[in-house]
Amino acid sequence: MQLLKLNIDKIIIHQVYQRDADGHRVKPMQTHDYTNFAPAAMETFKQRIVEALGESSKAVEMEIVNQDLTSVSHLVNHSIDEDRVTFAVSSYDFAVKLSDSQLSRGIPGGIVVIFTGTVGRSANKFLGIIKAETHSAYEAEKDSQTGEISLKYVEEVLLTPSSKLYKTAAFFEKANSDPQSKDLNDKWLVMVSDSQIGKTDGKAAAKYFYYSFLGFGYPQTSARTTKQFYDETKKFIKALEVDESQKSDYINALTTYLKVDTSSTISTADFASKYFDQDTQDEFAGYMDDAGLPTASFTKDIEYISSSLKFRKVSFSKNIKISAPSDSFKSLISMSTIDGDIGKSGLPEEWTQVIIKDKIVKQE
Amino acid sequence: MTEEEFQQHWDRDKLAYDAWGGVVVATICTELKKAGKSIDVFLKIPPKHRVKGEQSLIDKAFYRPDKSYTDPYNEIEDKVGARFVVLLIEDIKLIDDIIKRSELWTFDACKHFDEDKEREPLLFTYQSVHFILRPKKALNVGGCNITTEIPCEVQIRTLLQHAHAELTHDAIYKAKRAVKPSVHRTVAKSMALIETTDGFFNEVSHQLNHGPVEELGIVSKLDAIYFSSTKIKPNTQKSILTILDEFEDLVNDTLIDSIESYINKTPEIAEIIQEKYSDSALYKQSTVLLLYWMLKRKKRKLLDSWPFDKSILIPLANDIGVSMRDDH
Repeated sequence: MQLLKLNIDKIIIHQVYQRDADGHRVKPMQTHDYTNFAPAAMETFKQRIVEALGESSKAVEMEIVNQDLTSVSHLVNHSIDEDRVTFAVSSYDFAVKLSDSQLSRGIPGGIVVIFTGTVGRSANKFLGIIKAETHSAYEAEKDSQTGEISLKYVEEVLLTPSSKLYKTAAFFEKANSDPQSKDLNDKWLVMVSDSQIGKTDGKAAAKYFYYSFLGFGYPQTSARTTKQFYDETKKFIKALEVDESQKSDYINALTTYLKVDTSSTISTADFASKYFDQDTQDEFAGYMDDAGLPTASFTKDIEYISSSLKFRKVSFSKNIKISAPSDSFKSLISMSTIDGDIGKSGLPEEWTQVIIKDKIVKQE
Repeated sequence: MTEEEFQQHWDRDKLAYDAWGGVVVATICTELKKAGKSIDVFLKIPPKHRVKGEQSLIDKAFYRPDKSYTDPYNEIEDKVGARFVVLLIEDIKLIDDIIKRSELWTFDACKHFDEDKEREPLLFTYQSVHFILRPKKALNVGGCNITTEIPCEVQIRTLLQHAHAELTHDAIYKAKRAVKPSVHRTVAKSMALIETTDGFFNEVSHQLNHGPVEELGIVSKLDAIYFSSTKIKPNTQKSILTILDEFEDLVNDTLIDSIESYINKTPEIAEIIQEKYSDSALYKQSTVLLLYWMLKRKKRKLLDSWPFDKSILIPLANDIGVSMRDDH
């Protein structure tokens, strides 16, 4: 998400609790006053938001599924324009909704931060929700006499740089949306950042937040975006100035990334940092941004490319082709570029040495 | 002309000479400032003009065994003089150009060490650049009429050439006794050394100040983009060179185009700079444009090799919504 000119005007926090020993819901604690951060603290708060939702973050765009009158989306839609006094009260409804959604006793308590502001030149409104779990840490205390440092135990800290300990969701008002439309998806672009979403086994752990609480679902465009990611990345690799065997390795990596990797979200930055060197990472990020791929993450859906992912093909100029299931291609075929005979130009021709780690079983 | 007549002439003209010397110095200083030079830094000795003392003038006109003038009053052209002392040979060129370009005076380039070297390649002696300047049109300054006949001698030299001149002028040329050949020889040796050292100084300055960043005019072009997008005059500091030096491999002829197209495509950036102008010194410098662009386009490289404290980048990353997390 492009968070240019992020401006935050209201921040209010409430407290939610873990279910008690009998599994009963504990009523959230309401705060009545807004939080006013000093400039340095505000900068850090913005940093957390940018890390969670901004460019090259792990946030994914989702779709509003639940649009009931009692849904969070509906609550956002009518509370965003409220005055400060009314909003302070209605913001508590978010905490209540979250508390209601935390059905399992395993879900920890924490604080809910509700904040509003604007982004971009035309100051489009947004509303964000962070659920931050508290954890314990130490604070360095300096002795004013000796200057020595000792550690003081702090039982509850939150919003530390570790994103594992908070979940963030935001509703961004779309520019020029149709005021007549009844579908809240036409008015709001919604993003969720939750480290558990991307994990194979994390979906269930994340579901209470994005589905039960927020009423979101995975967007239907995922398959299209995934295909675009696959196509553009292949184009980028083909145009790289590296030898063909290196390109083959990159394409194998892309296939693995989309087909084998268990993460349910993908992103340009994630793929690049796993497989490319520093300069190529920057170049790739720019290329994909220009190609219109999301700069944050998105959910993976390989429906449109599953057949392409099954087989890897390599073609040579004189109608020679090697094709293999992508897993076998990666493990059993190795290719390297070698100098061949001296060609017409007086320089060695480029040949390819192929090793297939198997015997021939059939010839036609 | 008798000594008495000479004296009368001089009494009449002295103020006009003084005024003309003042005009010459002020004009050259103004032009130097226009060329972006700070007078205190560029000129190694505070510039001022000096009118010759009456006694030394008469002495020069009538009592010099080595010189005889037919018309001493007009032939002595250094009745008023000004001297500009700079650090480097290449700095002399700047003042030389200013003098030759000015519409205020006519100039007579009467001495240049480069020409002396051509003419007398085996000689190592006093080096300087001398001009005689006369007003192109008569001027009236502070009630004083300066005619087109009035000359002012301007000397331009390096600090080392100046040191040589200071030593030799009084000690050798005005020596009361005959100077031994061995002293002349030593002075000539020191001039040879000075010429060599001036050459080395120029070389050092050249190597320090000429690289792709200077040749491509990166800093001034960034300043221009900053000004045209924000309408604020930037105050870019030297730290930008440390940054550009660190990311040397990005400095090429496409860098500026790429930054410019990003800034033009993202009009929010100019607005952010205008709003946050007084927040920190960074927003007042065109360096900020380079950093926004790198955060957007060369983030990996920026975060890996940033030569200063990374916390400086956090507000900038927040401004354009780019996550600085490294945990992918």
